[in-house]
Amino acid sequence: MSAAVMSVRARLRGLSLAQRAALGLLMLLAVFAVAGPWVWPDPVAQDLSRFLEPPSLSEPLGRDHLGRSVAGRLASATRLSLLIAVACVTTAIVAGMLAGILAAWRGGLVDTVLHGLSEAFVALPALLIVLMVSAMSGGELWTLYAGIALAQWIEYFRVVRARSALLLSGPAVEAATLLRLGPMHVLRRHLWPDLRPLLTTMATFGIGTAVLAVSTLGFVGVGVAPPTPELGQMITEAFPFYHEAPWMSVAPALVLVVVLVGLLGLRTKESAS
Amino acid sequence: MSMHLQDVVITHGGRTLVDVADLHLPRGEAVTIVGESGSGKSLLAHAVMGTLAAGLTARGRVTIDGTGYDLAERSARRRLWGRVMALLPQEPVLALDPTMRVRGQVAEGAPAFRSDRRSAYHAAEQLLGTLGVGDAARSYPHTLSGGMAQRVAFAAATVGGARILIADEPSKGLDTHAREELADLLRQHVTGDGVLLTITHDLDLARRLGGQVLVMREAAIVERGTAEQVLTNPSHAYTQRLLAAEPSRWQHPWVSATGSPPADEPHAPFLIQADRVTKGYGKRDLFSDVTLTIRPGQRLALAGPSGSGKTTLGNVLLRLLPPDAGKVVHAADLGGGRLQKLYQDPAVAFPSRVPIIVGLRDVLRRHRPEPGRLEKLMGAMRLSEDLLHRPPGQVSGGELQRVAIIRAMLLDPLLIFADEPTSRLDLVTQEETMCALMEQVDRSRCALLLVTHDLALANAVAHDVLTATTPPADPVRQGHAGQLGSSSSTPPVHARK
Repeated sequence: MSAAVMSVRARLRGLSLAQRAALGLLMLLAVFAVAGPWVWPDPVAQDLSRFLEPPSLSEPLGRDHLGRSVAGRLASATRLSLLIAVACVTTAIVAGMLAGILAAWRGGLVDTVLHGLSEAFVALPALLIVLMVSAMSGGELWTLYAGIALAQWIEYFRVVRARSALLLSGPAVEAATLLRLGPMHVLRRHLWPDLRPLLTTMATFGIGTAVLAVSTLGFVGVGVAPPTPELGQMITEAFPFYHEAPWMSVAPALVLVVVLVGLLGLRTKESAS
Repeated sequence: MSMHLQDVVITHGGRTLVDVADLHLPRGEAVTIVGESGSGKSLLAHAVMGTLAAGLTARGRVTIDGTGYDLAERSARRRLWGRVMALLPQEPVLALDPTMRVRGQVAEGAPAFRSDRRSAYHAAEQLLGTLGVGDAARSYPHTLSGGMAQRVAFAAATVGGARILIADEPSKGLDTHAREELADLLRQHVTGDGVLLTITHDLDLARRLGGQVLVMREAAIVERGTAEQVLTNPSHAYTQRLLAAEPSRWQHPWVSATGSPPADEPHAPFLIQADRVTKGYGKRDLFSDVTLTIRPGQRLALAGPSGSGKTTLGNVLLRLLPPDAGKVVHAADLGGGRLQKLYQDPAVAFPSRVPIIVGLRDVLRRHRPEPGRLEKLMGAMRLSEDLLHRPPGQVSGGELQRVAIIRAMLLDPLLIFADEPTSRLDLVTQEETMCALMEQVDRSRCALLLVTHDLALANAVAHDVLTATTPPADPVRQGHAGQLGSSSSTPPVHARK
């Protein structure tokens, strides 16, 4: 346990000031998303007598046009967005990496087929894929997840395939082959250590893209089905009441900004070096 | 015209990197500084030009043609560049602009370039013609051989009329023939009343240039005198050590004269048998119909200029590349890792992002040599264990090549293919590294296939030397080590039938 704490500390020390600030910001957001349900138990419970109630101590963001707790809905929506984004990116990385390494390793027909498939996906705008998949099954969560993952794996596939092909044809892997070290050695010592920093950097960006995709779909009304709270959908719902209760549309937009700025901040050091 | 350096001190932080009290460069006599890598030779050249990297500070004076310049003040000398003094860069193939034709790049340096483009082009063409590369005027640099690129770089450096030429490791990356051409070129510059300062660790080049030779070690000049005196009868111990490190002077028990090649009979056992193999890229054949046999314990060298297909032939023999025609047969006991390879740049032969020890442990786990073997080899090569905990990029070239030798030796190989294993190292480190390799080869009676552009090294190490010529001429010729001066009289290969 103490060794784990030490290694976390060592990692923190390696971060720049901007990165620490970004990490702090994201942590705060995560605490808000996770703790929300305990403070504001039911984000869908309506109470029409509290129509557009202004912010107070117990309801820091007031109540919406149906008398629902805006803070509660925001926490729940943030959690949903982050969960979908992390799930999508994890899936896309695992799929893209496995396919990329497979294509680079096997070459030949496997490579031709996988590469052709990725080219076909690249030709389509990512959001169109997501739109298509979620339109086919009105607002179910899994289609949203599948659509975004489907749009994102290509990026990882292409990067991993190109990098792996380069490494696999290089002298270090040739030497490993002559030393009879086998595929596990090549994966663990040559490919993974080289791909890891690349994938981490891409993943921070991918999570941002996924969060934006979820809320874009919610904003245009084909994302998560109401009454489940979702950031984009909350902005749309709050628009008619902008003059009476501006905080209702500003708050979800602010969460999006925090997520994106936080993720961007995390990347600062990698892109600088 | 002459150049005079006084009290030159170059420092970084508090450390003195160069400290030369007095150096006179007269007209019509070559001055050459030789020494080990890291002795500060190149820094001296850059200090004179005023192109030292930021963070390095130079003090002292340089007098050019009667005008004195303070070395700490860089900008004053800028207007002398090309007109009065010029730097001939390392590895000209990399120094030339790959997107410009040769003529244009040379013309840029001509004095008339701004006012009269046409006469600048004319001057460039004329100079290129004088240097024997007039035909290349309209080519791009990547189509030139190393020797031609060196002439073009020379033309670009001197077209502005510079009579003071500073050459920084000009022979790096050149094969023997191109090096001879380079020496001629530089000598012509000197006999034409030029001033020449050459910085090199190539003693052969220093010998060919003649004139004065200075030996530099750890920031200071330790010996100076005429080329003949310093390079044949040195007084300083370090110079003696440097001279003894030339492959042609090696005195090791494993030097080929004392080793005996294995019996060469048709039915003797073999490790690799190549039968009329041909390989080319595109339409160009690198070599064709090469037939040769490598016997257990044999030491074979493939020598020849860069681009002649030596490494490709080695890779075909190892079956790392398929031949276009012909076949390569391996003895059955070569399987299971008994065939190992050493690379020109050892840093790229290790997984780059993990400490060396991590990769070595995988080797130990897979092949289980007797316990303590790694430590014993490390001791034999005078390597400290802590360097294994660094990633390969943080270990010096010579040490890392020795680690690569150890890694290969852990598998008790029957044949080692060493592909230019020392061409990036200075003379002393080269000898150290070859010693480490040959002691192991000698002890284990393992066969060696050495690819090198250095005939002296090939002759020192191998029982048999095959020389490759640049395609599309005859592919490969063979002679016995020691006979190579007359290699033109030896028949085309089908060596060791």
